[in-house]
Amino acid sequence: MIAIFLACTGISSRTAHAAPYYVTVAGLGGEPDFEQRFTALASDLDKLFKAADASAHVTTFTGTSATKAHLTDTLAQIARDAKPDDAFTLILIGHGSYDGEEYKFNLPGPDISGDELAVLLNRILAKRQLIVNTTSASGGSIGALQRAGRIVVAATKTGTEKNATVFARYLVDALRDGSADVDKNEVISALEAFQYADRKTAAFYETQKRLATEHAVIEDTGKKEAVRTANAESGEGLLAGSFALLRIGSAQKAASDPAKRALLEKKEEIEQKIDTLKYQKAAMSADDYKRQLSAALLELAKVQEELDK
Amino acid sequence: MNRRPTRRAKQLFFCAAVCVACLAGAHIASGAAPDDCHALRKHGHRAEAQKCYESLTSARDPYLRAEGYWGTGNYQEANNQFRIAVAASPANPVIRVRWGRLMHERFNNTDADGLFKEALEKDPKNAQAYYGLALVSADGFDNKAIEFTTKAMELDPKLYEAHELMADLMLEDSDQAKAFAEADEALKISPEALDAMAIHAAIEVLNDRSPDAWLEKIRQVNPTYGEGYALVAHHLVFNRRYEDGIAYYRKAIEADPQLWSARAQLGINLMRLGQEDEPRKQLEMAYNNGYRNEETVNTLRLLDSYKNFVTFKEGNTILKLQKKESDLLRPYYDAELKRIMDTYNKKYKMALPGPVQVEVYPDHEDFAVRTMGMPGLGALGVTFGEVVAMDSPSGRPPGQFLWASTLWHEMSHVYILTATNHRVPRWFTEGLAVHEETEASPEWGDRITPDVVAAIQEKKLLPVADLDRGFIRPDYPNQVLVSYYQAGRICDYIQERWGADKLLDMVHSFAKLTKTPDVIRQELGLAPEEFDKEFLLWLDKDVGQTVANFDKWRAAVKDLVEQAKNKNYDAVLKQGEEVRRMYPDYVYPANAYEFMAQANIAKGDKKAAVAILAAYEKIGGHNPPALKQLASLEEELGNPAEAAATLDRLNYIFPEDEELHRRLGDLWFAEKKFTGAIREYAAVVALQPLDKASAQYNLARAYFAAGQKDQAEDHLLASLEAAPDYRPAQKLLLQMKDSDEGNKNEGK
Repeated sequence: MIAIFLACTGISSRTAHAAPYYVTVAGLGGEPDFEQRFTALASDLDKLFKAADASAHVTTFTGTSATKAHLTDTLAQIARDAKPDDAFTLILIGHGSYDGEEYKFNLPGPDISGDELAVLLNRILAKRQLIVNTTSASGGSIGALQRAGRIVVAATKTGTEKNATVFARYLVDALRDGSADVDKNEVISALEAFQYADRKTAAFYETQKRLATEHAVIEDTGKKEAVRTANAESGEGLLAGSFALLRIGSAQKAASDPAKRALLEKKEEIEQKIDTLKYQKAAMSADDYKRQLSAALLELAKVQEELDK
Repeated sequence: MNRRPTRRAKQLFFCAAVCVACLAGAHIASGAAPDDCHALRKHGHRAEAQKCYESLTSARDPYLRAEGYWGTGNYQEANNQFRIAVAASPANPVIRVRWGRLMHERFNNTDADGLFKEALEKDPKNAQAYYGLALVSADGFDNKAIEFTTKAMELDPKLYEAHELMADLMLEDSDQAKAFAEADEALKISPEALDAMAIHAAIEVLNDRSPDAWLEKIRQVNPTYGEGYALVAHHLVFNRRYEDGIAYYRKAIEADPQLWSARAQLGINLMRLGQEDEPRKQLEMAYNNGYRNEETVNTLRLLDSYKNFVTFKEGNTILKLQKKESDLLRPYYDAELKRIMDTYNKKYKMALPGPVQVEVYPDHEDFAVRTMGMPGLGALGVTFGEVVAMDSPSGRPPGQFLWASTLWHEMSHVYILTATNHRVPRWFTEGLAVHEETEASPEWGDRITPDVVAAIQEKKLLPVADLDRGFIRPDYPNQVLVSYYQAGRICDYIQERWGADKLLDMVHSFAKLTKTPDVIRQELGLAPEEFDKEFLLWLDKDVGQTVANFDKWRAAVKDLVEQAKNKNYDAVLKQGEEVRRMYPDYVYPANAYEFMAQANIAKGDKKAAVAILAAYEKIGGHNPPALKQLASLEEELGNPAEAAATLDRLNYIFPEDEELHRRLGDLWFAEKKFTGAIREYAAVVALQPLDKASAQYNLARAYFAAGQKDQAEDHLLASLEAAPDYRPAQKLLLQMKDSDEGNKNEGK
């Protein structure tokens, strides 16, 4: 459904990209077990982001370095450096709290509130921003963080889901597991990562026969309620589907080869044709749809074969 | 819980004493006393009884008003009046007892229990309060029911209802002689003890004799006493004679069309035989007339949930699965049912006369509805004649449940109930079913758990002649589980010593209603006591070491956990071996096998890890992560066939695992076992993974490799529809196109 939605609006995650900015913060664990877990997850993300794109600006804070001051300085620096075409991602791992009015991300030393974070993020010029708050009570931060052009993902539906979360674990898995790339375009979008982590989180509680104490949500319009399911119906997910969180293949290499430009244009054209077909599926006979889709897919496969030569 | 609906409708004739002793001077408008009303009702004079109760509702005394409202069916107002009555006479235990009885009748055993206990605080020698506690305990098959009933009889030897209850409990415990004697005792005290007559009738029916004489006696006292038939029905159902039980519930309703409890039970038992329409009608009728106990309400809810199920009829099987998991589970259940029926047809030398229906519930609460009001565990599966209801593998955390083992267990019941026309003692059919689990697959079936070891150590195993009691009314926690183990081992022992055919001979003897002691004597040539002695000697040879080492093992395993926690791998390996030797069957959490495997892996000895995990699997370990690790190690060490076999065994434990099916599919695909690969990849698709493209692609390539091109095309299209740029699928598409072209050219 999302693919159709995207096709119709002409936004594609295949767009060439500038060097992305990634900031990951593992907050205060409180207990050695949590401390260790949060640090490990942040370190994994650090490695993944660096390995995927050598030009990426990756900053990761763990343990005692994860202070409000360091985070503030880093976000201020990015606000100075980042251009409007850049992509910016902030991932918060750890514990959060919500008193009914204000969300706070727990850090060694003073905590940082959702409003304080929002002020810092609003200064960053990058038009495409992704904030993934995986902490407990992270749902309480959505109101402060949401803004046009910004995707906000929270591990909990509201600020009142206060138990420690497992969402971050599966977010990291999403970036490690190629199966998260459901459209197989070699890019794990923010939406794909969200859906993967959400599904795995739900499966965790289900198989353990435990009452689920976290329900991840996403908001990317900047003005609506965050939703559990992003699709055309909810009007959410459009931006997240086009936000490349991690590139896992060589798709971008072909774009820089002038000899293959014509083939790439042809490929793009067929892909749009397929998207249109899928959009019209309900209005077509099953046989006609199958015939046309098969033909288009075959054509696309042949073009890809040429591109791969 | 509503186990004995008949008892709720009964009114005890003791309040006259209350009226005289405690409520002296109370003004009764019409001059009627509750006992008068109860007597009219007992003799079937309903209209007069109704008038009598109505007259009580205008009495000045709230207690009498409570009895009046209760008698007219206005339970809410009766409850209000009891509250007022207790407030007015706080020291009076009898009002509390009667209020407790109302609560018990209206499905609130918690409050009933509290009121009976409060009454005993006021009067520790109150027989009626003990009788009330016995009723509450009996509903939950609590052994205290017998204790409370005995106490009530001691305190009031004339309390014939207590003897009736004792007869009822004894009959549930399969002690017909005691049940007979207690029923007679009740009749000596009160020749009009209707339930005592019904117990006599039930004993006759259970022995395939005519109950007519007793039923006629009931009719002479009260021709509309449907409760009598319902009590007979209860005991028939209790003995798994569902169709006979249904016939008696119908008789109960014929005698008293407003006996809503019987209608509810009729509905529930018809459902047990796989019906839906009449059960709904009967249950709704009961519900709409205010009979809303937990069993009725939950069963109606379950019926509503059936819209989410799908039924597959094939050959001699009907499989009912929830829609969401039907695509995943059906191939596994179909194959296993076929294997089971082929095996049992040969083994039991019979074929089932009709189709067997297997219902699989992913929500344990739905399954639990099917076992409400029944004794025993009912934890994983239950059999009603030719209908089996069981938990889905998804209904439990992974590793807690071997669904296939349970299916073999329940299907054994189906055969044995059919072979004996439902005339088989509980211990034998359960024991044989447990025995069959291990026969089907040595790593299935019950292992000796610490509870069982402790029971053997404390000499708590029951004599074979009394073993039924361990299933129905346990004396100590976990006695039901211990009894399952014991019954299973008894069948193992019989097979080992006398041969498998002897078990079948015993089935036929039980079918002739021969009692356990006589079957043991006739078929095995031993007195039951002698059999018990020899069985214990045999069991001791097998598990004696474990029992003897139990206390030592407990201490050692504690130390092993510490060593593992501290990563002292050499110590883990050394002590683990010793712990394992002391209690090899211990495969539950914190077992030596898994600790040793982790230690081996930490020390880089993968071969040793495989050996210990293989031993764990063989002896019955079924923790999915441990078995998956075994498969990974087997694959790493170059044994893909063993890895595949290990993963395939996991299918019988927790098939709701996408990764398992992907891995097994890949292994079988690589081994060119395409049929198996298709099944596994289809399971991945059935689990509706996020990554549809690769799931559909894998299935397509397996079909293509198996030469099933049409299916391959469909799944490949589904893959590329989800991800048009998916390279492996694109390549397969081109390959299939080339193959088409090649075929066309060859055809020219």
